[in-house]
Amino acid sequence: MFARSAFADRMSSRQKMVLSVLACVFAAIVASPLRGVLDPANIVMLFLLTVLVVAVSLGRNPAVLAAVLSVLLFDVFFVPPHFSLAVSNLQYLVTFAVMLATALITGHLTATLKEQAADAERREQRTHALYEIASRLAGALNDGQVDEIVSQFVRSEFGGRCRLLLGEVATEVSADNAWYAGELARWVLESGQRQISREEGQVVYLPLKAPMRVRGVLVVQPGEEAALLEGDLALLDALASLVAIAVERLHYVEVAQHSEVEMATERLRSSILSALSHDLRTPLTVLVGLADSIFLIRPSLPEPALENARALRDQATRLAGLVANLLEMARLTAGSVTLRQEWQPLEEVVGSSLKLVGDALGRHRLRVELPRDLPLLRFDAVLIERVLCNLVENAAKYSPADGEIRISAALAGAFVDLAVSDEGAGFPVPESGQLFEMFVRGHSESATPGTGLGLAICRAIVDAHGGRMRVESPPSGGGRIVVSLPRGVPPVVEAEVA
Amino acid sequence: MSETRSQVLIVEDEAQIRHFVRLALEADGCVVQEAGRLADGLLIAGAGAIDLVVLDLGLPDGDGIDFIRAYRGWSDGPVLILSARTEERHKIDALDAGADDYLTKPFGVGELRARVRALMRRRQRAGGEVSPLLEFGDIVVDLAKRQVWRKGEAVHLTPIEYRLLAMMVSHPGQVLTQRRLLAEIWGASYIESSHYLRVYVGHLRQKLEDDPAQPRHFLTETGVGYRFQTGT
Repeated sequence: MFARSAFADRMSSRQKMVLSVLACVFAAIVASPLRGVLDPANIVMLFLLTVLVVAVSLGRNPAVLAAVLSVLLFDVFFVPPHFSLAVSNLQYLVTFAVMLATALITGHLTATLKEQAADAERREQRTHALYEIASRLAGALNDGQVDEIVSQFVRSEFGGRCRLLLGEVATEVSADNAWYAGELARWVLESGQRQISREEGQVVYLPLKAPMRVRGVLVVQPGEEAALLEGDLALLDALASLVAIAVERLHYVEVAQHSEVEMATERLRSSILSALSHDLRTPLTVLVGLADSIFLIRPSLPEPALENARALRDQATRLAGLVANLLEMARLTAGSVTLRQEWQPLEEVVGSSLKLVGDALGRHRLRVELPRDLPLLRFDAVLIERVLCNLVENAAKYSPADGEIRISAALAGAFVDLAVSDEGAGFPVPESGQLFEMFVRGHSESATPGTGLGLAICRAIVDAHGGRMRVESPPSGGGRIVVSLPRGVPPVVEAEVA
Repeated sequence: MSETRSQVLIVEDEAQIRHFVRLALEADGCVVQEAGRLADGLLIAGAGAIDLVVLDLGLPDGDGIDFIRAYRGWSDGPVLILSARTEERHKIDALDAGADDYLTKPFGVGELRARVRALMRRRQRAGGEVSPLLEFGDIVVDLAKRQVWRKGEAVHLTPIEYRLLAMMVSHPGQVLTQRRLLAEIWGASYIESSHYLRVYVGHLRQKLEDDPAQPRHFLTETGVGYRFQTGT
């Protein structure tokens, strides 16, 4: 425990007692030649001084012993009749009583004073030690350093060992449970209360209570014979809160660094995407525009040239659609899409999608069946428009040229089902789920051009809305893709006061 | 188009895009001037006599929106924005700053010419007499009497529906942002309540369009706002 400066502290209590006896005997020997010279009252003073010295240097119990012994010695050697406990003059009884009382009280007071001084010193040392460890913990850069600093502290202050259990106590415990109980550590972590187990030596479990939450458990086992006092527990508590704050600080440093890296990555990703998007779009715009302007040349070019121009324009437009899909997919998978969700009628986005699809529909007949009483839904119109465009384009691509494409919607519990059906060959049933994976196509050998990105994009968008997508092959033939969007609680539009 | 040839300014950093836009507009009889940088564009526009500006939003020496703000300082001539698809926010900002319409890259020449013609028509009309009687499809709107007929029959509109209709038909071919419509018809405190606008546009379509799900006049500019168009 605390190193005490006095030499006396290193003695056992028996040695102290012996020393106390020796001191009294020494006093008696010194006093005996003076017997004739000094008044007995002054001899008493010599003994009292001895008791005082014993109390100061050896503590309370030796002082009591010295007090009693002094009275006896005084009685035997200095009070007539000498060398006997008998007392000739009864007045000496008063002297004995006063002497004993004075010796005991002096001894007690002195010992108390000394203990208090020692206490104060210990406290001072403790404060210093805490100050030291606080400043060292403040400089710790990772959990390993914290562990090391704490271990050193426990070794020097308690002569024992310790273990720092952070976060998931349970996983660490199984690896090394030589001297502490994992169960108890877990309990301390959950309850946040200090526990002391006394099964095999004393082991203290201290919760690391940081401002936000309990960050872990510090298990301390003091050295062999040192029993923990109340003051030591207070010190351990203080240690635990210092460690807790250090651990929490390190946790947040890590969180901050992590999110900084994340943000930098995010910025880089979106700037690359937008640069890529710009660089791909510019030549495509030129391609489409120039192919188109061939038709403006006057006098008009011969028909074969115009035919080529038309093909050029169509291919460039298709390429533009493809690039748009690829970039959209990149944006969606990069997680850099923030939904601009607003409450709106489904009818509107169906309308704008159909207008956008326009030419791709070719000779297909279109039927839109939306119930009048559909609730408002909350979605990002631009993204859902893309879903619908992809679905309708798909339907047009994989169904007979004069077939019917049907867009319908219906309430389905907590969802609204939006379905796009066609009169094509339907979907290969066993792989229906895979259709929503990237670059997977229903009929891979199909002559119809496509990348298999369309449905993957749809799924990513619908997922982001908390919706679902499924493929159906109705018994009446053809294929149907159903998009389910969550209904939520639409805002109220107050009726107009006419 | 008109007797005096229209002056068009193209501000776009990509020379090839400037080239085909020039081809397309010259075919319509416009006189075209080109600028590759925002500063040059402002110089030409400042010299006067520009009837229409075709503006790319991403310019090497600045943001197209800055051009619009500066240009609106002295001219209310139509501005047509060229922008990439993924930049809805950007388009809205440009429209709110005073642009009239936008085209998403890549765009066809036909689309470009149609938009430019519509904007020019509006400009010419703004100069001449305005008739309170408006006709599109089988709809007749009398802005003076605040009455609407469809196929000869009177259509009953609520006050808000009428205000919305009046605002849209008086800006034909022009994209009106959600923000602007909400602020002018419902008031500034409704700017975030876009569902009001959506529901009332739905009402107008129910009452005035043949197929509300595939409107011909009250068109949605997804993520941006609405556009009124007299016919196809």
